[in-house]
Amino acid sequence: MEINHQINMIKNKTVSPVGKSVPRIDAKAKVTGEAVYAFDLKLPGMLVGKMLRSPHAHAKILKIDTSRAEKLPGVRAIVTAEDAPKIKFGSNEYFFPYTVDQYPLEFEKVRYIGDEIAAVAAVDEETAQKALALIDVEYEILPAVFEATQAMRPKASQIHTAMNNIGVMMPFNFGDCDKALAESDYVREDIFTLPSAAHAALEPHVSVGRYEVSTQRITLWTSTQAPFKVREAMAKTLKMEAADIRVIKLNVGGGFGGKLEMFPMDFAACLLSKKSGGVPVKICCTREEEFSFTRRKHPMIYKLKSGVKKDGTLTAITGEVIADGGAYCSYGPTVVAAAIMRISMVYKITNIRLMGFRIYTNNPISGAIRGFGGVQSGFAVESHMDMLARGINMDPAEFRLKNATDPNMTTINKLILSSNGLKDCIKKAVEASQWKQRYGKKKDKSDDIAVGIGMGVAADVMGSKMYKAHESAGTIIKVEEDGSIYLFTGAADTGQGSDTAMAQIAAQELGVAYERIRVKAADTEITPFDTGSFASRVTFISGNATKNAAFDAKGQILDIIAKEMKLDKNDLDIRDEQVVKKANSSFVMTFDQAIALCYSFNYGHLLIGRGNYNPKTTPVDFRTGEGNVSGSYGFEAQVAEVEVNRKTGQVKVVKMIDVHDIGYPINPSSVHGQIEGSIVMGIGYTLYEDLKFKEGRVVNPSFSKYHLPRSTNIPKIESIFIETHDPQGPFGAKGMGEASLLPTAAAIANAIHDAVGVQIKDLPITPEKILKALKEKKAD
Amino acid sequence: MKKIKVEINKKLHELEVCDSELLIELLRDRLGFLGTKYSCLEGDCGVCTVLVNGKNVLSCLMLAAEVDGASVTTIEGLAENGVLHPLQEAFIDKGAVQCGFCTPGMILAAKALLDQNPHPTDEQIERAIDGNLCRCTGYVKIVEAVKDASKKINPNDQISISK
Repeated sequence: MEINHQINMIKNKTVSPVGKSVPRIDAKAKVTGEAVYAFDLKLPGMLVGKMLRSPHAHAKILKIDTSRAEKLPGVRAIVTAEDAPKIKFGSNEYFFPYTVDQYPLEFEKVRYIGDEIAAVAAVDEETAQKALALIDVEYEILPAVFEATQAMRPKASQIHTAMNNIGVMMPFNFGDCDKALAESDYVREDIFTLPSAAHAALEPHVSVGRYEVSTQRITLWTSTQAPFKVREAMAKTLKMEAADIRVIKLNVGGGFGGKLEMFPMDFAACLLSKKSGGVPVKICCTREEEFSFTRRKHPMIYKLKSGVKKDGTLTAITGEVIADGGAYCSYGPTVVAAAIMRISMVYKITNIRLMGFRIYTNNPISGAIRGFGGVQSGFAVESHMDMLARGINMDPAEFRLKNATDPNMTTINKLILSSNGLKDCIKKAVEASQWKQRYGKKKDKSDDIAVGIGMGVAADVMGSKMYKAHESAGTIIKVEEDGSIYLFTGAADTGQGSDTAMAQIAAQELGVAYERIRVKAADTEITPFDTGSFASRVTFISGNATKNAAFDAKGQILDIIAKEMKLDKNDLDIRDEQVVKKANSSFVMTFDQAIALCYSFNYGHLLIGRGNYNPKTTPVDFRTGEGNVSGSYGFEAQVAEVEVNRKTGQVKVVKMIDVHDIGYPINPSSVHGQIEGSIVMGIGYTLYEDLKFKEGRVVNPSFSKYHLPRSTNIPKIESIFIETHDPQGPFGAKGMGEASLLPTAAAIANAIHDAVGVQIKDLPITPEKILKALKEKKAD
Repeated sequence: MKKIKVEINKKLHELEVCDSELLIELLRDRLGFLGTKYSCLEGDCGVCTVLVNGKNVLSCLMLAAEVDGASVTTIEGLAENGVLHPLQEAFIDKGAVQCGFCTPGMILAAKALLDQNPHPTDEQIERAIDGNLCRCTGYVKIVEAVKDASKKINPNDQISISK
């Protein structure tokens, strides 16, 4: 066969797709409206489910009487805790079994406004809503506590059994901090306050449950980032075999950490279906429920005290972090760990002493949200670092360069940083922003408007063990007789583009066109296990599993060709749809011919490649913070350029520059998209997003009252890659879905200081806070 | 109940609608145009955007009865004979799609703009889609995509001056 013919055949196909901005595998279905989300599901006979939630922040449940509701025509089922085995679930059960603290339906006590007590299924929404009102619950109101600092006091109302309502206490402790502080040339203390925030994914939480009576099995379609985690919690709380529960993820309309767990509505939809004799039940959150009763960002208070030498050497970082955890633990331990332990990924520090407290309150449940606690820590630590640098009259960029971690180093807490582009990120950010010409220079654009520039840096993990001893991912690749290729992955694409990345990685490794690959993802009965989409782990961990599966499939093909053609398998490869000799890239046969050979009379070999990957980590000792949590680490530096109006206090972010060590970009456009999305989310959290509470009730549960960034609020964004080709990453790639959110708030706050000389230490940075600070500065 | 005649995606429908039935309910629940998304039902997010007589409206704030005699376009009506609209092509090419939940409404809002103003500036694009929330992309690639589509729709036109 002539090679020319081959070139024609692969026209309009993308060969060697890794590193190319190929169109997303799901984009066509999404732009035509054909993509199906759990929210779109409609099954024959499907009932509408609704959750009964506590109207009280803290109360004993004395009696639940559903008899009046049961009599309402159109009601098909009502469930309470009595319909299930009363087993608690949690999210960090592997390292923190004592944080497993929530019943899917509460029966003894409610701990926040919204706590689920019962659920109803009815023929329509109106009937379901009426039925909720007919369920009689008798409560004995208990004193409630809404401030973490008050909940810690000895006489505060007891929410769970944890002493002083301290649900999680986590130390991070190395070196001799007191000595280091005493020997420092400059020491400063700062307190930072961080508010709560909402994920605000556009697709609300939705659960469609169906119980099959004949087999006693459950199918749950849910809008989730972690179908296998949901299955595990469902099996536990329903006392069923995991194999009898099938969790299916369809397209997911955004997650951002808010869809990482089983929710009581998942549990209730399945239980209601069981009780109504196998009729499917769908429960959807309204936008108000979404804001008020799902999960939210942990509000935190950071108290930091750190020291430096005159030459800029960071000597010690000490302090404490108090997080308002709300009514249950959720992913709280991991959030606190992320809030205190990232510092050593960024700064070469040997003396560090931080204590993290996660406190139960009667507020809604705080949980995982993009960056875990890293966003809060990013604001506090990076603002604090700027102030330390200024205290010794050192350029904050220079200060960061001097103290930044290096490649191939082991940190004081035994993190193994292999590839590390942090210093290059800082240098590039300085160059791209013309930092040296602009930082600390003339500030006035007009009489009222001052301009400023500020920096923040960050590091992030790519994977973290949460609920199991391992965090393996697996991929199966089958190459059919007609040359079509199916990829089965448990990784949950929630919009970040992991299905596309998996297809690119598989095509690259297998040597075929990207367009051949079809991805079937995240169905617990069909796809291999995957812990879920969190901790920026999917490209790195699931990507390696996919690469391994493709390598396995390729090996099977090459085995047969070598045998048939009496060649050495090790001399062969598949590249760009052709089998070639490695040495001189000479043509052996086309990929299609190779597949025909595999499926021929003599061989009849069904091609099924398998791969899995579990990153090399060490267990973290949560008494000290020692241990290598992730297989590799990502780094970045961000520079914000702002304009501050001295008269109105208004801040305009003019430009953001993000320089990111992404290892190697599997899909550059997708990577830029993640960075742009993170930065804009970060600007929202810095300047106006603020989920507000009054006595445990969210007071702004709508898009008109909780302000998300809109298209008219976005600055110019310049996104630059530093390619460090991580030795463990698939094709050198690192995970990067969260890191860009971490330094944004501090970069903006530091830029505001550069512009007008005030450092705002509590988010969001509103015009009122700036005006107040300017007034105080003038008075000084 | 009211009888209405409405053209949806160039097909005439004669329907009976309840007085309280929302346009989003008619389109999604009765006619199966599931590309019209549901997110807040309060008119704040834009994911339920459709075109009524060429103008972008929020189908959660409009009664089905109000479209009597009108022409409605949903995202399903944008491609013709399997050929994608230039906006759909541009959203794919420019990486403007992530979770996809805002995408149908975003594309329709952009279509309403381009039908009125074939070569908008970046600022005009940003203003035109200001009512459509996106939590994934940061809007950067969406604005790029709309700009790209405007060039494809009017290949001979001068590229407009950006801000």
